[in-house]
Amino acid sequence: MKINPELVTRVLTKFISDETHKAGFERVILGLSGGLDSSVCACLAVRALGREHVLALIMPYRDLDLEGQEHARKMAELLQISYRKIDISPQIEAYFSAFPTENQLLRGNKMARERMSILYDFSAREKALILGTSNKTELLIGYGTIHGDMACGINPMGDLYKTQVRELARYLKLPEEIITKKPTAGLWPGQTDEEEIGLSYEELDSILYQLVDLRQSPEEIISSGHDEKKVKRIIDMIKKSEFKRRMPPVAKISSRTVGHDFLYPYDWDK
Amino acid sequence: MCYFLIMKIAIAQISPVLGNLKKNLAHHLELVEKARKQGADLLVFPELSLTGYTLRDLVPELAIIPERSEFFSALVEASRNIDLVVGLVEERPDNPGIFYNSAAYLSRGKVLHVHRKVFLPTSGMFEEGRFFAAGKDFRSFSSDWARTGVLICRDFLHYCSSYCLFADGAGLIITISAAPGRGVSDLQSQGFETSRMWELMGEAIAFFSSAFVVYCNRVGVEDGATFAGGSFIYSPFGKLITRLPYLDEAFLVQEIDLEEIRRARKSWPFRRDDRPEVIWQSLEKIIKEKQ
Repeated sequence: MKINPELVTRVLTKFISDETHKAGFERVILGLSGGLDSSVCACLAVRALGREHVLALIMPYRDLDLEGQEHARKMAELLQISYRKIDISPQIEAYFSAFPTENQLLRGNKMARERMSILYDFSAREKALILGTSNKTELLIGYGTIHGDMACGINPMGDLYKTQVRELARYLKLPEEIITKKPTAGLWPGQTDEEEIGLSYEELDSILYQLVDLRQSPEEIISSGHDEKKVKRIIDMIKKSEFKRRMPPVAKISSRTVGHDFLYPYDWDK
Repeated sequence: MCYFLIMKIAIAQISPVLGNLKKNLAHHLELVEKARKQGADLLVFPELSLTGYTLRDLVPELAIIPERSEFFSALVEASRNIDLVVGLVEERPDNPGIFYNSAAYLSRGKVLHVHRKVFLPTSGMFEEGRFFAAGKDFRSFSSDWARTGVLICRDFLHYCSSYCLFADGAGLIITISAAPGRGVSDLQSQGFETSRMWELMGEAIAFFSSAFVVYCNRVGVEDGATFAGGSFIYSPFGKLITRLPYLDEAFLVQEIDLEEIRRARKSWPFRRDDRPEVIWQSLEKIIKEKQ
């Protein structure tokens, strides 16, 4: 699970710069929550493109995550990148006053999609490609909102587990408080990922690594000392979230169909 | 076969534009000029250098019939004063609709040899077998410089491929490659873990074939995959002569002394003592028994 952070930084900055330019952009934009992933991503983007080509949006809902807001501002200032704070409360309030709910997951998803919508709007306004910040742990267990925080132009972080992102953050010398604070999706006050998932990231990543990277069977993982219930739950989460990692299936009628046998590269002619 | 002893080999560790023959041809011709100016005798480009790698349904659209292609004739023409190895999607005039991942060795304004990739990786992130037909042989040929063999990427990782070239007398084994890097846990290396695999093979094949091994890998990013670079040349004694940087574009002209093939074969007579007929008979028995 250990990573060579110098090499990873080199690969990811190359990825960001190559893919951004290939897509016809000079700049990137990302949502900065003040959490670990978006902070690391912003830092890599600055290394890849220079600080003047990175734009951050801080998009709080009321005072749900004041600490996050503060960390986001601090990160943007530390990296000396342009940032803009856009309060999403009015549109979220307007929507939920018409369709009230106390379901925190529904509210959280709506907020994630509102942020996505703003990012795409600003992407077009500012001619900046959207950097995704979903890590490998989140992508695998589906801990993210489809068409919300999972939506992006390119994703530099998606093959790094959360604990590896933390390792990278140390190498990049991010502020200690951002590295060590409890990760949160900011769904409700005081919410933490690990409580909601029911596993620590260390344990979760260790199981995922054995399952995905080392291609071990569930039995092998359990016999290596992991709790059976946890292993089964993780496998269940992976299965149930496949729809978030794929384009929706297209009903096949003809002999050549988008998503089935019309197969062109993403970087076509680039 | 060694008419000259000192040979200058240029390696173009480039990042082709995916699916754009015109831009890639222009870049090739620029580098041919650059190599010529530096006195290179041979310039090696990576696998599918004229098209890029992640082609999928672009394969038929970019296929070239070397004998008929005006586009390709520009490269053949460019080989009048320097030998070239280029990677292309090849189609044969008498077999339309069948596409090969090929490497052409051009020399003196002619196509001297074409190798069609035999081992098409089709698992995990690779899907070559879905879009390409597999080549059917490994043959060495004689250039102005040395008895030479050309392989493409995965071919080189199957050691039998190099053995065939060795048995056919090759003193120069050229592998062109589009190998994406994987694995970042080696804290000592500046490259991907998979780069070590190529170097290990390069060292071993060079030593045990008493042949120069020239490996030209590409760089750049396609659809999220980063090509690892790290092209190299090993001597017939298995010594590293040069290695290009990992990940970054690079261009290098390296002198090699072809007399080294002879010296290595005097010290280690693997070539003299080779028994291809025993290998062939053994393989025949193994294949028959398996059937």
